[in-house]
Amino acid sequence: MRKIRSTLITAATWVLVAIFFFPIAWMVFTSLKTEGDAASIPPKFIAALSFDQYAIVFNRGMGSYLLNSLTASVGSTLLVLLLAIPAAYALSIRPIKRVQDVLFFFISTRFLPAAASILPVFFILKTIGALDNITALGLLYAAMNLPIAVWMMRSFFNEVPLEIVEAAQIDGANLRTELVRVVLPILLPGIAAVALICFIFSWNEYFLATLLTTFQARTTPPFLASFVDGRGQFLAVLSAASTLAVLPVIIAGWVAQKQLVRGLAMGAVK
Amino acid sequence: MSAVTEVPSKLSPPPGRAGGRKRGGLNEAHGRWASYLITPSLVILGVVIGYPVVSAIIMSFQKDAGLDKATGLFVAGGFAGFSNYAHWLLQQCVSTTGVTSACPPGNLGAQFWNAFGTTFFFTAVTVVLETVIGMWMALIMNRAFRGRGLVRAAILVPWAIPTAVTAKLWYFIFAFNGILNSVLGAKILWTSDEWAAKFAIIIADTWKTTPFMALLILAGLQLIPEEVYEAGVMDGASTVQRFFQLTLPLVRPALMVAILFRVLDALRMFDLPQILTGGGGGTGNATTTLSILVVDQIRQGFNSASALSTITFLVIFIVAFLFVRFLGANVVQTQANQQKGVLK
Repeated sequence: MRKIRSTLITAATWVLVAIFFFPIAWMVFTSLKTEGDAASIPPKFIAALSFDQYAIVFNRGMGSYLLNSLTASVGSTLLVLLLAIPAAYALSIRPIKRVQDVLFFFISTRFLPAAASILPVFFILKTIGALDNITALGLLYAAMNLPIAVWMMRSFFNEVPLEIVEAAQIDGANLRTELVRVVLPILLPGIAAVALICFIFSWNEYFLATLLTTFQARTTPPFLASFVDGRGQFLAVLSAASTLAVLPVIIAGWVAQKQLVRGLAMGAVK
Repeated sequence: MSAVTEVPSKLSPPPGRAGGRKRGGLNEAHGRWASYLITPSLVILGVVIGYPVVSAIIMSFQKDAGLDKATGLFVAGGFAGFSNYAHWLLQQCVSTTGVTSACPPGNLGAQFWNAFGTTFFFTAVTVVLETVIGMWMALIMNRAFRGRGLVRAAILVPWAIPTAVTAKLWYFIFAFNGILNSVLGAKILWTSDEWAAKFAIIIADTWKTTPFMALLILAGLQLIPEEVYEAGVMDGASTVQRFFQLTLPLVRPALMVAILFRVLDALRMFDLPQILTGGGGGTGNATTTLSILVVDQIRQGFNSASALSTITFLVIFIVAFLFVRFLGANVVQTQANQQKGVLK
C-alpha cells in the first residue's frame, strides 16, 4: 500500500515537471523545424529537423546582441563582486556603527520600481552622451544587483565561524591576509551563488535595456521582444533566437545548480 | 517615515549572537577599515539609485516646459504644486492656459485607476495561485524520491529564463491557431479579448514564478524537524490535520517572506504584459499595469510621468510596510534560518 502510494506521488511529480517543462521543450523543438512545419495547424509533433534557423538568426546579426548581453552581464557581475564582498565583510564580521541603518538602506532599494528612477537616469545618460552605451548599462546593472549581492553575501559571511578569524588574529595576521587566506576559501560557494544570480538578472533585464539602448548597445531581451518578420512566418526563427537567449542561463544554472538553489533560498530575491 | 524605524528593529541578529560579533579586539583602526570597505558601495548606490529617485520626486512638482497653444510663446516650466498628482489621482488636466478641468477620455490620466486596479488584480490572483501551487510542489519535493535533484533543477528553468522569452513563448501558445486553442478545441482570442488577455498574463506569470515560490517554501519546510511529524503520527493526526496544525504554522515565517517579495515584484510587473499583449490587450488597457503606464506617459510629458512613478513607488512602499507591520513578515530573521535549512 505504502509502496503504491509513493510510486503514485513520484509519477504525479514527473507529470508536474513535464507540464512546467513542456513550453521550453516545445520551443527547442520548434527551433529545429522548418517555418512551414512550425506554422502548421494543427501543430506537428513529428517533423524533419535541422539547424537552418540558427544560421538565419546569426545572419540577422543576433551575434552582436548576444555579445552585448554577455559584456553587460559579465562586466556588471565582476563589478558587483568587487564591491559587495568587502562591503558584506564589513557589515558582518566588523560591525560598523549604524550597521542596521546601512542594511535597511540596502533592502529598501527592493521597494523601488525601476520606473521610479528611469527618467532622471535617462537625462543624465543623455547629458554625458552615454545613451546606447553598453558600459553605462553594465554600470546600472551593477547598481541594480548590488543590494541583493551585499545582502546575500552577508548571510554567507555570517556562516564563517568566528573562532577561525580570531585564531588568524592571534597568529598576527593582519586584516587583509585574514580576508584572503582564511575567510575567502570558506566563502567560495557563496560567491558562486551571488555571481550566478547577478549574471541571470543582468542577462534577463528588459526594462532598462529597452529604454536606454537603441542599436549599438542593444541586448538580447529587447531584440527578442521586437522580433518580427515582414514575410509573416517567423515562428521557427524566433524559437531559435529564444533558445540561444536561454542557453547561457541554462548552462550556468546547470553547472552551479546546488549553489543557485542555496543562494535563492538565502537571498529570497526575485 | 515610521517604516524606516520599524524595520531595523526587526533586523537585529538572533539573540546570543548579537554580542558575539562585536569583539574586544575591535579597535579604531579596524572600524576605519570597515568604513573604507563599505563606502564604495554606498557611493555607487547613492549616485545610481538615490540621486535619480530624489530628482524624479523634484521633477514631479514641476510643470512641463513647452509652447503655449493660445499665444504661441514658449512657457518655462516652474513649480506645479500637486497638479501632476491631481492629474493621476483625480483625473484633472491643466491646459496650457492654466485652466484646470477633467481630463478628456483617452487621456492617460484617465487610465490611472484602471491601471491601479489591474496591477492589484494581477498581484492578488498570481500570488494566491503561486502560493497554493507552490506549496503543493514544495510538499512533493520535500519527500525523498528518485531524481529529486533533477526535478528541482528542471522546474527552476521557467524562472531563470528571460521574461522576454517567456512572453514570446506564451504568445505563440496563446495564438489563435496556437497549441493551447488546438488542445482545448476552443477559439479564444487570448491576447486581444479583455478577460482572456488578463488570464493569459496570469497563466504565463504563474508558470514562470510558481517554481521559485516552491523553492522558497521548500527551504522553510526543510527546517521542520522530522520528530514533529513523528509525534503527530503518534497522536493519530490525519494527513490533513498534520498539514494545517503542524506544517502550516511552522512554515509560516518562510511563507510570509516569500509572499512579501512576490507581492513587491508583482506590483512592478512590466515585461510580461508589455511583450505578451503589447501593453494593452483587449480594449487597449486590459493589461496595462502602473509600470507600463509610466512608460507610456514618458512619451507625453516627463514631469507628469515622474509624479506617476512617485505614486507607484509610494504604493509599493505602503504595501511593504503593511506587510511587515501587520502580517509579521520578518525578512531578516527568516532568511538567516532558511539558509540553515538549505545548508542541511
